Amino acid sequence: MNRRVILTWVLALVGIPAVIVCSVLFRFDRSYYFVSLVIIVLAMLPFFAAFEGRRPQAREIVIIATLTAIAVAGRAAFFMLPQFKPSAAIVIITGASLGRESGFIVGALTGFVSNFVFGHGPWTPWQMFAYGLLGFLAGVIFSKRLAKTSGLGGYKPLLILYGALGTFIIYGLLVDTASVMIWASSFTWSAAKLVYLSGVPFNLIHALASAVFLALLATLLTEKLARLKRRYGLFQP
Amino acid sequence: MRNNEDAFSTLHPTVVFGHFVTVVGVSVVFLHPLILAVSFVGALAYVCYLKGWSGIRKMFPGVLAMMVFAALFNPIFNHRGMTILCYWYDNPITLESILYGLAASLMIGAVLLWFVSYNQVMTSDKFLCVFGRMIPALSLTFSMVLRFLPRYFVQAKHIAAAQRGIGRDVFSGSWYARARHGSAVFSIMLTWALENAVDTSDSMLARGYGLPGRTAYTDFRFRQRDLAAGVTLGGGLLVVIVAIVAGVLRANYFPIFDLNAASYLSWLVIAVWGLICATPLIMGLREEAVWRSLRLNL
Amino acid sequence: MALVAFESLTFSYPQGKREVLSDVNAILEPGEFVLLIGESGCGKTTLLRHLKTALTPHGSRLGTVRFDERLLTAVSSAEQARRIGFVLQNPDNQIVTDKVWHELAFGLESLGIEQAVIRRRVAEMASFFGVGTWYHRDVATLSGGQKQLLNLAAVMTLQPDLLILDEPTAQLDPIAAMEFLAAAKRINDEIGTTVLVSEHRLETAFPLCDRVLVMNAGRLIVDELPRNVGRMLAKTSDPMVAALPTAVKLALALGANSGADLRSTTENPISIREGRAYLRKKLSLACSSQVEVAEVCAGIATSPSETPAADVDVAGVATKMNAPVGESCAGAVCAVMDVGEGGDSAAGMGGSDVADVAGAGVAIATISPSGLRDITTRTVVTTRDREATSVITAQDVWFRYDKNGDDVLRGVDLKVYQGEFACIVGGNGGGKTTTLGVLSGAHKPYRGKLSVLGLDPKKASGLELFRAGLAVLPQDPQTLFMRNTIADDLGDAAAQHYKNPDERRSAVRDAATTVGITQLLERHPYDVSGGEKQRAALAMALLTRPKLLLLDEPTKGMDNPVKTRLAELLQQLTADGLTILMVSHDVEFASVYASRCLLFFDGSVVAEGTPREFFAGNSFYTTAANRLGRGLVPGAVNVTDLVTYCRSLPLKATISQDANGGAR
Repeated sequence: MNRRVILTWVLALVGIPAVIVCSVLFRFDRSYYFVSLVIIVLAMLPFFAAFEGRRPQAREIVIIATLTAIAVAGRAAFFMLPQFKPSAAIVIITGASLGRESGFIVGALTGFVSNFVFGHGPWTPWQMFAYGLLGFLAGVIFSKRLAKTSGLGGYKPLLILYGALGTFIIYGLLVDTASVMIWASSFTWSAAKLVYLSGVPFNLIHALASAVFLALLATLLTEKLARLKRRYGLFQP
Repeated sequence: MRNNEDAFSTLHPTVVFGHFVTVVGVSVVFLHPLILAVSFVGALAYVCYLKGWSGIRKMFPGVLAMMVFAALFNPIFNHRGMTILCYWYDNPITLESILYGLAASLMIGAVLLWFVSYNQVMTSDKFLCVFGRMIPALSLTFSMVLRFLPRYFVQAKHIAAAQRGIGRDVFSGSWYARARHGSAVFSIMLTWALENAVDTSDSMLARGYGLPGRTAYTDFRFRQRDLAAGVTLGGGLLVVIVAIVAGVLRANYFPIFDLNAASYLSWLVIAVWGLICATPLIMGLREEAVWRSLRLNL
Repeated sequence: MALVAFESLTFSYPQGKREVLSDVNAILEPGEFVLLIGESGCGKTTLLRHLKTALTPHGSRLGTVRFDERLLTAVSSAEQARRIGFVLQNPDNQIVTDKVWHELAFGLESLGIEQAVIRRRVAEMASFFGVGTWYHRDVATLSGGQKQLLNLAAVMTLQPDLLILDEPTAQLDPIAAMEFLAAAKRINDEIGTTVLVSEHRLETAFPLCDRVLVMNAGRLIVDELPRNVGRMLAKTSDPMVAALPTAVKLALALGANSGADLRSTTENPISIREGRAYLRKKLSLACSSQVEVAEVCAGIATSPSETPAADVDVAGVATKMNAPVGESCAGAVCAVMDVGEGGDSAAGMGGSDVADVAGAGVAIATISPSGLRDITTRTVVTTRDREATSVITAQDVWFRYDKNGDDVLRGVDLKVYQGEFACIVGGNGGGKTTTLGVLSGAHKPYRGKLSVLGLDPKKASGLELFRAGLAVLPQDPQTLFMRNTIADDLGDAAAQHYKNPDERRSAVRDAATTVGITQLLERHPYDVSGGEKQRAALAMALLTRPKLLLLDEPTKGMDNPVKTRLAELLQQLTADGLTILMVSHDVEFASVYASRCLLFFDGSVVAEGTPREFFAGNSFYTTAANRLGRGLVPGAVNVTDLVTYCRSLPLKATISQDANGGAR
């Protein structure tokens, strides 16, 4: 691990509790949004630093950029159907095939770049973190297993299940929590309950979309990525 | 593309980015009604200046709706505060939470409006200029995504047309067939993008990508005027932060709403804050005035 | 003091049985401009990639590559990145960043060069290539030609000593290709960079280069001065002989003399201008023998291009040229200006590509109106009796992409008849591809009548047109493949007509046999060559059992032998009853294989006829052979015409004798 990575881990592990303690101590309670923003950003730093730190090869960068661009283009292509978008599915497949780190990077970049199309706002860091986490966890759960099967093997149903649940719980919860922070400026359970409940239909559609796109694309995309990995010896530790 | 930029946008990206972080950050952290009101007016004026009346008409209703939502949201769910005005479904509605809701609403309005101008002013290349050195690999990836995106949209059109030519029209046939053809377009797109990516990486390798000590070039130059603007901005920010931390400007909402009494010092701080928020607009207007006088002299 | 030396280089891929390179020995001297030619798949790209360690393919290798007297592998990657520039075939794929200025700086960033130096180098290169006007633009807004120039400029900012160009113009239209090669030549002339380029556009490239390397199946079979290549190659019966420039082929056919001075332009012509001088000499030798003088002279007198009126028109062309093509087109303007001075159609740059410059929407104006009327009236007579069997009818069709935009099609009138192989030629922006879009129903015209296979594409859905037997083959076959093997992709295409799996398999096999790709069925569609991809795409179209096939630029990026194979296939298909309408920049291809040609300019058909009447009637937008023989050999459209004419002169014997005499 290089120095920068260690530094960011320290920052995250010390910084996040410190920010929380500070906010309580100094009665900083009025800006939950700000505090949570700092936490989110600190949490993302180690991932970015790790990516920077290992100085990725040209081919890895190109493939990560390609997958991100496809995820963003997918979000833009389905703009007329609210929440029905393939981005999460692509991020999940990336994490599953190329590993958790690539999954996080593609996810976070997808959240970031797509807002150059749809407009940045206070929600940007949350979307980045939510997509990133989705990809990261997909990597944690699937990448070792998929590496053995050199394809999707029998994991497709499991991947679809993870996609639906992950999109609903991880992405939905994080982004809705961000909404609570943005709207309410302070976190109360009754407000949160309202936001979460009103978010359920949207998150259900999003989860459904992830499941559908995973069902359609997972086999194809993992095969394509496996072919590239084979041919060019990519993403092998 | 860099032709029609206003005076503020032509500042060095780090200064521009710093300005946005300042105005958004202060607005989010310090919920002082005057700070927020000034920030909101500054943001609205700059958006008006950038986008004109038609632009405002297009996006302002959305912002307003969110502001109204925030103004209502807080009193309904936040029951802190001493001054109970009435009860709504057995829950107390307090004066403090209404005031707090109004402040939150101003804050959201200001932040959203700043983001509207941010989206226009901080183009991707400026973002890269700010972060290119800090996170070179991510910045490059980001730049490549931006390069691929328009290309993918064009290619998607070509693929859809090609598929139509061999009887897989996305726009005719049964619902199921169309969905299948649509997914074929997406699959072909994926295949094409990944296979052609190898060429791109060859082109990077051919130009030495991966050698140690890569620098990040930027076409933007840090000039005297950027330094002046940066120092002024930083000084102003310092004044505001010190003033707030020192309690020159203080706003408490709970348990009872309380602003500290106005003093010359507090008005001075508000004036400094106002200047910061109005900088983009003032710079733009000043340059337009110069243009006008130049044209008169002709 | 060789800059590059290949020493007995032999290479084969890990899985491959055969050697891709076998015992290649060659040397590049500093400052040379060397052309590498050979049939597709002969190992050109593999050889070029051996000049850069980062791009060298994995496999087993014997022999060595030296750069600047050192083993290439011993040259550090930083030095290789700096001193060896590499431009690949596809202009789009090579661009890494989203802004022109960033792309120019990319290589310098990699080398870790500081800001101020990068700024200067980028500024220098932008000025050298005239990038200035689009320096701040997004790369997505550039044309294909501009993109490839950007790739070249982005490599040149590193100030390399060696520039390797791997089929850099294959994806470009003829004008952009000429500009690109002219830019490469300019780098070679003005900066002294050594250039090694592999190219299919020999008509343009031959006059530019100092030396030509010819490869065949991994071997270097010829290493000669351009003037000598024809003769050396003719001894080997290599397929590339057919791809040589017209002037070379003519001289070969009329018996170039082996003892002649290699530097003599009239004995070993390589450009159209030299070819004309050569032909004139041959003919005057024949004429001076007082036979058939009258006939030949009459031919000269009736030629349109050598009358004084041509000079007037040419001035007009030169001024118009600047408008659409832009300032970076100096080379092209020169080429056209030469017409005025010498009466030759393609002096400086030479070649068929000049014809296509005319197609850019400039020189068409010089075709005299009366000449045009002659051609069209003649075709009307020949086609009237076929009226009943027309498959496509378009009457006064107008189209624009959006309501406030410019008209792209301005009153297109065209008919395509049952069983013919019609070809629409013309320059960029003439509306050729848009016409295909309108005919296939992808674009809806706002005025005019259309009928395709008895349906109206304005109203019929894509599915209905497809069921009526319409198939369209796109320019880029990569827009069709998604499976892991070609067989699977063909199977998907066949699924619409062949429901039974066994039937489908045999249909796929039949289609593969028709287009000649049976041995590739189990390969990944992206692992085969461009020509093979194009044929696989054609097989996909055929599996939809079309009655009418629309082809968009099918010969793009193909070399001559591959084109010939495609043409034979298409002719076979028309003989079997398929109607084909093709859109192409490729005048030479259309002149040989199409049954009828239509010239598109400014959104409508301005001339049509059989290739012979069509190209004989054109002055600029025509085949190299026609331009070479203009005023000397009446009505010649291809090399065979020129040769037949020369041989038909009574003093055939005298010609070769006198030619030998001239050499002494």
